[in-house]
Amino acid sequence: MDATKQAARDWLRREGVLGRRGARPMLALGLAGTLAGILQALCLATGLAALLAGRRVAWSLLLAVAVLAVLRAAGGLLSDRAAAAAGAAARRRLRGDALARLLGAGPALLRRRHSGDLAAIVVDRIEALDGYFARYLPAATLALAGPLLVVMAVAWRDPMGALILALCALLAPLAMALSGLGAAAASRRQFAALSHLQVRFLDRVRGIATIVMHGRMEDEARALGAAADELRRRTLRVLRVAFLSSAALDLAAALALVLLALRALGRGMAAPLALYELLLVAELFAPLRGFALAYQDRFAAQGAASALAGLPELPAVAVPLPVRTVAARGVAVAFDEVCFTYDPARGMALDRLSFRVPAGETLILAGPSGAGKSTVMELLLGFVRPDSGRVTLNGADMTTLVPQALARLTAWIGQRPVLFAGSLADNIRFARPDATEAEVAEAARAARLDAVAALLPDGLATQIGEGGFGLSGGQAQRVAIARAFLKNAPLLLLDEPTAHLDPATEAEVLDSLRRLTIGRTVILASHSAAAHAFGGRRLDLREGRAVPVRGVA
Amino acid sequence: MRPLLRILGLWRGRAGILAFGVLVSLAALAAGVGLMVASGGMVAGMLAGGVLAGSLLAAPLLLRLLGPARVVLRYLERLVTHDALFRALADLRVWFFRALATGSAGGLGFRRSGDVLARLVNDVEALDGVYLRVIVPLAGAVLLLPVLVVVIGRTSAWLAAVEAVLFGLAAFVLPALAARTAAASGGALAAAGADLRIACLDALQGMREVRVFAAEDRMRAAIARHEATLLTAQQAVARRSAWAGAAALLCAQAGVLAVLAAAPSAAAAVLLFLAVAAFEAVGGLPRAGVAAGQAVTAARRVLAAAQAKPAVAEPAQPASLPVGSALRFEGVHFAWAPGRPPVFDGLTLEVPQGSRVALLGPSGTGKSTLAALALKVVAPQAGRVLLGGTDIATLAAAELRGRIGWLAQATHLFDDTIRANLRLALPDADEPALWAALEAARLAEFVHGLPERLDTWVGEGGARLSGGQGRRLVLARALLSPAPVLILDEPCAGLDAQTERAFLATLNEVAEGRSVVLIAHRLTGVERLDRIWRLSNGRAVAAAG
Repeated sequence: MDATKQAARDWLRREGVLGRRGARPMLALGLAGTLAGILQALCLATGLAALLAGRRVAWSLLLAVAVLAVLRAAGGLLSDRAAAAAGAAARRRLRGDALARLLGAGPALLRRRHSGDLAAIVVDRIEALDGYFARYLPAATLALAGPLLVVMAVAWRDPMGALILALCALLAPLAMALSGLGAAAASRRQFAALSHLQVRFLDRVRGIATIVMHGRMEDEARALGAAADELRRRTLRVLRVAFLSSAALDLAAALALVLLALRALGRGMAAPLALYELLLVAELFAPLRGFALAYQDRFAAQGAASALAGLPELPAVAVPLPVRTVAARGVAVAFDEVCFTYDPARGMALDRLSFRVPAGETLILAGPSGAGKSTVMELLLGFVRPDSGRVTLNGADMTTLVPQALARLTAWIGQRPVLFAGSLADNIRFARPDATEAEVAEAARAARLDAVAALLPDGLATQIGEGGFGLSGGQAQRVAIARAFLKNAPLLLLDEPTAHLDPATEAEVLDSLRRLTIGRTVILASHSAAAHAFGGRRLDLREGRAVPVRGVA
Repeated sequence: MRPLLRILGLWRGRAGILAFGVLVSLAALAAGVGLMVASGGMVAGMLAGGVLAGSLLAAPLLLRLLGPARVVLRYLERLVTHDALFRALADLRVWFFRALATGSAGGLGFRRSGDVLARLVNDVEALDGVYLRVIVPLAGAVLLLPVLVVVIGRTSAWLAAVEAVLFGLAAFVLPALAARTAAASGGALAAAGADLRIACLDALQGMREVRVFAAEDRMRAAIARHEATLLTAQQAVARRSAWAGAAALLCAQAGVLAVLAAAPSAAAAVLLFLAVAAFEAVGGLPRAGVAAGQAVTAARRVLAAAQAKPAVAEPAQPASLPVGSALRFEGVHFAWAPGRPPVFDGLTLEVPQGSRVALLGPSGTGKSTLAALALKVVAPQAGRVLLGGTDIATLAAAELRGRIGWLAQATHLFDDTIRANLRLALPDADEPALWAALEAARLAEFVHGLPERLDTWVGEGGARLSGGQGRRLVLARALLSPAPVLILDEPCAGLDAQTERAFLATLNEVAEGRSVVLIAHRLTGVERLDRIWRLSNGRAVAAAG
């Protein structure tokens, strides 16, 4: 926990240094703007004093005001664009980093967290960082430098007046610190509420038919309303900090005005100087106001820091890791006293499991659901690592293999393959993006998907929806088989590939699979009797342990 | 602008608090402008050396009142307007979900969940500027313009005209122009945001496939591409917004300059301060115009996703539910699309009340379509489906679905607790009922062994359960359903033979008195059935029981 906090702090410090470098143009333009504001105040005060004394304002003065106005507008324009560019550059860099970390952490994350929750990190967390780089970092420096400039501009003519301004300006950070108590926690809760709303909505939308069919639409709408309302309250609490500090600034500004006015009145100050000081109050508080508005962005950055710091760092891609090339012909798999636990409260998923599969042979993992069959698969896929014991491929410990090398060795067909929106062919080609049209068609044929495609309006070019909409469970499974054919890897992992299929479809899919297994090392997890006709050695699992086999299937 | 007006129409329920927000903001504005005018008067009196001695005494008192009032009112304004708006947005999100669900009895189809999510989150959020940054300050501008004209007009008609033109430019013309061009530039921003979200969800939800096929770099490249599009669209909006801000600043400065150049001596301070206050109040409007232009697209996207009509139209005046629950298909013709071969071609089939019927046939004979027809997910092109003798076309879909429980092949497990997933079928099911259902689905022992038992979180799509456990949870849910008709579509697919037989045996008991339609490829022999139908060539044929 403390390590995560430290990592978050380091992350924020590093990003702060980078961000401040990017904020230099905004800073320079902001200071130039304050300077122009001071000069304008000088011109306006002189002009107004002349007016009040019954004289006309000199045209040169009016021209000066106009030129300064144009300069300020141009400066604002440039600063806005610089801020947008800085925010965009930071987000591009950080989104890439966040995504790399998430993909590096891998599928094990999906057991603990909803994909919508993870996507919120990559999308919303990073978007929320825009304010930190585009506004907060420049504003934080400007809030110090701008008022200092104004105070100096007054001190030059009236040191006492400058002191009053400086003291009033110092009230601002004090008020902000007070109103900002608990702001970090509020910001954290707001993001949690946003995440919760998203995950809930996404999950319900994916299962919307199930909800409608159960007549639970109203209940779900109410629950969503509660989540949306929670977000409203959390957001308001975050904003209240900004509102309170704005109010405090208003008060400090009013105080400065009254003090300066009373002083001018009491001492019978010259009109131009008195007006100059009064007009500068606005210039003094403008950078502070900007800072107060951006203040909450700091907490968004802190939240992002702890979200990202909790994920493992991705190994640097640039460093070429030694890839253990396992013998080209076949892969032998061995488990050696492997233990694994997902959640200590739920007991061990695998308990000192050992087995061996020689290259080119088939092992059938049998046992009731929850016996640890899928865990064996997840270990072999590198999604999780053993707590103790070793998993070896051709004698090489799996933990020494980089994910890319492992991916090259294995093909996997799970219970419910993820299909993406796009054409059937695109989905098959996902296995090997450089495959030719002909190779894709060949894989489809091998998986007996060509018969399915023939009935579809556009053949393999037929569009399917997210999650395989438009295909039946068996057809989706055939897409996964076609992917495996296209990939042509020596180790084939089949995790209950026919679990959601009816017996007739199961038989057809098994037929395709049988052809796929020729010449490969195969580990098949299934409790289906039909699958056991596959041929091969059988290993019965029960509560994560191998039980003595009664006979060989 | 029409989509925005429709959204505003949806906020009718919050009209009171939204209007109150505008009122508070007007009060804050009045206090602010009054404060500036009074300060101007005081400064002028002060510097004129006692010429305005009377106001010199009165002004500090006024200031003492207006100063704090302005601070407090400004704070209240922000609080009230934001609260009102967030309530309206929360309402809109609920409305959106309801409308989406009404049109999605058959699932999302080709719509992307990430896109729908982007509409719920980003597009709804993009509507916040319409009230906070357009309507509220516009109300102030409408109030301010006559004040500006009258107060300045008393001393100089010419100056009043100039100020009115500049003010109108900043408050009305520039924002309208900005909104028009921003709206015309299309919905690049909203679409790019949605695409980024979809790409991220694809990569993360499909993380297993991504890892197995070493597709990390490809996915990252795709996301980077969508991000680049988004950033470009954002930069375009930022540029527009920067120009609008610069134009607003120039208007305000021109207003000040005009006072300086043309104001009569005595009133100069008051007029200058008034001009500063007035332009400050509307200074954000041109930028808000850009945001409003984007909001038009956002509104259009929100409305479009919510407008999906249910595939089967609801009857204008639904008939009352019949007493009986016999289900009857009469000469039903159905094809999924006009060009596609018909699934049913004169299907006639009867499921008497309380009977147990099996429906057999190989893949693709339309067994699942039959359930979709009975539940009004789709409607037959000819023929009719009757429940208790009443054509279901005349029944309200929600009421009909209360009568028929459906265990579909693609049933969703929600990212929630075991208890919540079960209660989907029966919201007020008590503890014993939940355990009984789990027992019947042979899952009770497993759940008993979990540290949090019924409150165990199942994860996304049941990710924390094994495949078989997830399927059994779905079975338990189906058994909890109190509907008098149960349609079970391949309930035992993927279960081991032992569990399958146990479940079917339980089904014989728990569903006593209810109609059960068992859709399957084959029978195990455990089922107690009254009738068996076999589907072939789009018709049902009675098979020997």
